[in-house]
Amino acid sequence: MEADPVTVEVIRNALTFAAEEMGVALRNSAYSHNIKERMDHSCALFDAGGRLIAQAEHIPVHLGSLPWGVRNVLTYLKREGIHLEDGDVIMLNDPHLAGTHLNDITLVTPVFAGGRLIGYSANKAHHVDVGGRAPGSITGDASELFQEGVVIPPVKLLHRGELSHDVLTILCSNVRAPDITMGDLRAQIAANNLGARRMVELAGRYGIEVLEASWEEMIAHSERLARQDLKRLPDGIYRAEDCLEDTGIREEPAWIRVSIVVDQGRVHIDFAGTDPQVEAPLNAVFGVTLSAVYFAIKCILDPSIPMNEGVLRAVTVTAPEGTLVNPRRPAPVAGGNLETSQRIADVLFRALAQAVPDRIPAASNGSMNNVMAGGYDPVRKRSWVYYETIGGGSGGRPGQDGVDGIHCNMTNTLNTPIEAMEQYYPVRFERYEFRPNTGGRGRWRGGCGIERSWTLLAPSAKVSILTERTKVPPWGLAGGEPGGLGEHWVRRKDGRWERLPGKGTFTLTEGDTLVIRTPGGGGYGDPAERDPALIERDRANGLVSP
Amino acid sequence: MVRIGIDVGGTFTDLVAFAEETGETALIKVPSTPSDPAQGVVDAVRRFVRGPGQTWKVFTSAASLIHASTIGTNLLLGQKGLRIPKGALVTTEGFRDVLEIARQRRPDLYDLFFQRPRPLVERRYRYTVRERMDANGAVVVPLDEEGLRRIAERMREERIETVAVCFLHSYANPAHEMAAKRILQEFLPGTPVVVSSEVNPEYREYERASTTVINALLIPVVSSYLQELQGRIQGEGLSCPVYVMQSNGGLATVESACRLPAATIESGPAAGVVASAYLGRVLGIPSILSFDMGGTTAKAGAIVGGMPQVVTEYEVGGRVHSGRIVKGSGYPVRFPFIDLAEVSAGGGTIAWLDPAGGLRCGPLSAGAVPGPACYNLGGEDPTVTDANLLLGRINPEGLVGGEMPISPSLAEEALRRKIADPLGLDLVQAASGILQIVNTQMVRALRLVSLERGYDPRSMVLMAFGGAGPMHAAFLAEELGIPEVIVPTAPGLFSALGLVVSDFKHDYVQSVMRLFAEVDLEALEQVFLRLEREAVQQLRKEGLPETQILLQRQLDLRYLGQSYEITVNAPRPMGKQDLDFVIESFHTRHREIYGYAAEREPVEVVNARLTAIGVVEKPALAGAGSRASDPPGEAQVGDRPVYFEGYGWQPTPVYWRPFLSPYGALEGPAIVEQYDATTVIPPGWTATLDEAGNLRLRRK
Repeated sequence: MEADPVTVEVIRNALTFAAEEMGVALRNSAYSHNIKERMDHSCALFDAGGRLIAQAEHIPVHLGSLPWGVRNVLTYLKREGIHLEDGDVIMLNDPHLAGTHLNDITLVTPVFAGGRLIGYSANKAHHVDVGGRAPGSITGDASELFQEGVVIPPVKLLHRGELSHDVLTILCSNVRAPDITMGDLRAQIAANNLGARRMVELAGRYGIEVLEASWEEMIAHSERLARQDLKRLPDGIYRAEDCLEDTGIREEPAWIRVSIVVDQGRVHIDFAGTDPQVEAPLNAVFGVTLSAVYFAIKCILDPSIPMNEGVLRAVTVTAPEGTLVNPRRPAPVAGGNLETSQRIADVLFRALAQAVPDRIPAASNGSMNNVMAGGYDPVRKRSWVYYETIGGGSGGRPGQDGVDGIHCNMTNTLNTPIEAMEQYYPVRFERYEFRPNTGGRGRWRGGCGIERSWTLLAPSAKVSILTERTKVPPWGLAGGEPGGLGEHWVRRKDGRWERLPGKGTFTLTEGDTLVIRTPGGGGYGDPAERDPALIERDRANGLVSP
Repeated sequence: MVRIGIDVGGTFTDLVAFAEETGETALIKVPSTPSDPAQGVVDAVRRFVRGPGQTWKVFTSAASLIHASTIGTNLLLGQKGLRIPKGALVTTEGFRDVLEIARQRRPDLYDLFFQRPRPLVERRYRYTVRERMDANGAVVVPLDEEGLRRIAERMREERIETVAVCFLHSYANPAHEMAAKRILQEFLPGTPVVVSSEVNPEYREYERASTTVINALLIPVVSSYLQELQGRIQGEGLSCPVYVMQSNGGLATVESACRLPAATIESGPAAGVVASAYLGRVLGIPSILSFDMGGTTAKAGAIVGGMPQVVTEYEVGGRVHSGRIVKGSGYPVRFPFIDLAEVSAGGGTIAWLDPAGGLRCGPLSAGAVPGPACYNLGGEDPTVTDANLLLGRINPEGLVGGEMPISPSLAEEALRRKIADPLGLDLVQAASGILQIVNTQMVRALRLVSLERGYDPRSMVLMAFGGAGPMHAAFLAEELGIPEVIVPTAPGLFSALGLVVSDFKHDYVQSVMRLFAEVDLEALEQVFLRLEREAVQQLRKEGLPETQILLQRQLDLRYLGQSYEITVNAPRPMGKQDLDFVIESFHTRHREIYGYAAEREPVEVVNARLTAIGVVEKPALAGAGSRASDPPGEAQVGDRPVYFEGYGWQPTPVYWRPFLSPYGALEGPAIVEQYDATTVIPPGWTATLDEAGNLRLRRK
């Protein structure tokens, strides 16, 4: 059976819209700030073979990991002899299968039409807490996966439409805010149902054979487009390296190395030479590594190419097992899709800059600047836990400055409004402003970092930070200078300032102020060539000291 | 009396006049003049006043003029010739960059060269002052009045033209903002000072600051524009009161628009939805999907319970991606906007092949020039109009009742060369394919405003207008399970008619932030009463007697911990016995939109809202746009083969709409032509003309 080009395009549109509709439904009805305000979630549709046919991702770190995760789930179910029925929903968060970290819970719903399995509707959302040793579950110093929360292998959360109370009870007994977890899971179930319904409607209209033939052609079509477009890259081998400055546990840097081999539009990316996995939560499971690769590739591809399995196929990726970018169980991984994914993207761009120098910016701030905090709030009479990531400067670009204070590369979550934070948590914000002089100098300067600080209003709280680029700055490009380093402090109630390491867990008491200062972006081009009018503008705006 | 509506669009300025006494309408189209928008309006008025038409002269002395413009959007988008005033922002110490950091998000995930929208107030003019409230409105740090005076001095030196003030948590306690306003006004007499608690007392500091800044920047521009406009219109010999259409679909006086210009920022597109709601009310139809398809885009809106649906936030100048605005791509304004989903699907939308042979439609449009290939104005790309022509849906003799000749052979050549031959399709397959693809995109827009908001399109009626709407409507209805399509008398000017049938409308909001179970009813009543006093005062000022004022209270509710709210109606006054009703309607609405309700979980009241409507008498729209002077004739004017997917080529009778009588039904397939539109009635549908002259298509 072959599908005509018209039907293919109509079905492609309908599926894309369906994935977006799922994303909206999930966001609207979720409970946690992470999903509602920060949009830390993704939705996608797959064919019966587990191939990606449509995806609506809001943060790039889910780009490659969700498809990888769904494929792993299918392999797992087959191996374990678990049979899927109409009305089942599989839940998992095991990073070595699901592809990111334990906080991301993935739900996979098989879609049946006419009694036949035709595909899967899936989504992944960041839950605010999945247990483990610290509020928010993400720590800077876990040494094995089990400290990062409850590990859920692929299990049936719903069986033939019935919620499994056994599974839920185990989960809810292991997390710090079970109501929120439940609310978010409900929203995830509803989103998958919506995607499934749209697929069934399409099957009803076009018939399963036409639908499947269309998917086949959609994938082939995207692959053709991607391969054609990649031919614009000059042939060659492009190598680069960059590092995580420390692991929080050991002082020395951990290196990521890549070689990109381009041959007539065929692109192979190899991470051989990367340092071994670490006993710190910075290991990036292979799904995260894939996400970073697809992100970098998408940034240089024609943006109109429809995203599906075809694009994924255009690039091959290898990473030696047991390394930072493809660790073995039970390596801790919470920060892998936060900090390490940023660095993988940096390394890839550094290599690509050799191939297409006019299309790649200098390094961005290179950290997600993660802050987790929680404790007991005697005024509101409840435990509280929150997680946020803070933007920094983006790298200077050929022809334009970097952008001040924004999320770069692998993340793009919204901030939580200060007025919302103060309504729910015992904190008072002191500052949320750009950090002058942190944009790397260059003909096109890097963007400035951000200072975000708050004072604790409750008797005590535990705070974890997981940040990078506090020792090794974001690199400049084409003669531009590096961006400013991040630096983090606690100002104790008595006025003492204590410098914090980039990664770690600390205790605050009432009146203490946490000060997070995020890195700036690298500069692009020789600073001597900078237009004096731009220098003057930056001075007037107080972004550069005279 | 004559009601005149003037809609300044991106390309054309439309004037529609409606004589209540005779039901006569006039439509004048002149090119818009973006750098001096008043000029286009004056041009239109001049042609109306000096043009032919004796009857109009009798009435123009007793006219009212309703104006919709996009001057606000154009200003913010950097339209040449419009200067953004030099504005300043005063905000809480430590938070100078909230306006620029925005939500910290880049508008495009994969564009390494992305730009954030330019901050509306440059950093050097963002001043901070020591002061602080907490979330409950308690003073943590008193306002540093001395520091504020120093800032005011600096503003004077800098020749700041307009000032916005936004302090943290001012929605909970406006005292510091009000004090700041007094001081600033004292130091900067004559300079507008806009404080956030007066404009938008709602939580979320970035959106409130953005709304306040936009309002402050627009005040000098909009007030001088409207004042000048009034003068110039009078100079053309038309002296009548001028009203302004707001983004919520209601009218405001010039005075009100000058004070709250941010409420009028995108008023043009709202008019079509207002017209649909009005016609629905006349016909007794409360649930409507409004569908407006023109040359470059299609817009969908929803009317539920007779009310156009609104959203409470909008991003001005934002980029649209498959129907919705991409968050972070524009400037947020928190005023109610008519909920519109817009997709790049119009008559001029271009079909193209990507390098791997995929058939795509839009977002590029051939516009009016060069236009579709069949216009013979040099367009070489096949468009939606060309596809409709080749399938027999458009009269091959020409458009506008044959007045504008078109060339089927050019359409054929473009389609063959660019699409059909490379894909190995025949012409019909290619043309039909293009229509299916754009229809999918338009279905998406209709779904966004209905299903995604929890309304079932199967219980709604599709109101189709705009030049191309009636040609596609039945196919979209089929896809969505909508049983009936209404094509109003004059689809081409229906949208502009919305201007002359709108009511006065003002929206008020106040953040409450309490658990529903802990709400102090007395305090809430006081909040509502305060908003109502403000509303009634405003409408009285606008000349409405109390008997014509309708007040609707609403509450924004959510489950505790959620951060998006659902708006439900609240009784007036609200007693203890009403609480169950309110909470029940929240659960129901939540279920409608999201598929579940959590009845046992605590509910939070976020905002109290009040919508105040000043009802004005409406002209009877019946018959608007019909050409009464045409002699009656035989309705069927011919027949031609028309292609319908699934049926193939069908011999199809063609009718001339002005000659149709309200008796008897047309069986699909049939084509109904009129000056400004063509209605396609597919097989399986019938059509009748109702008493008022509307064409009603029903699925058999």
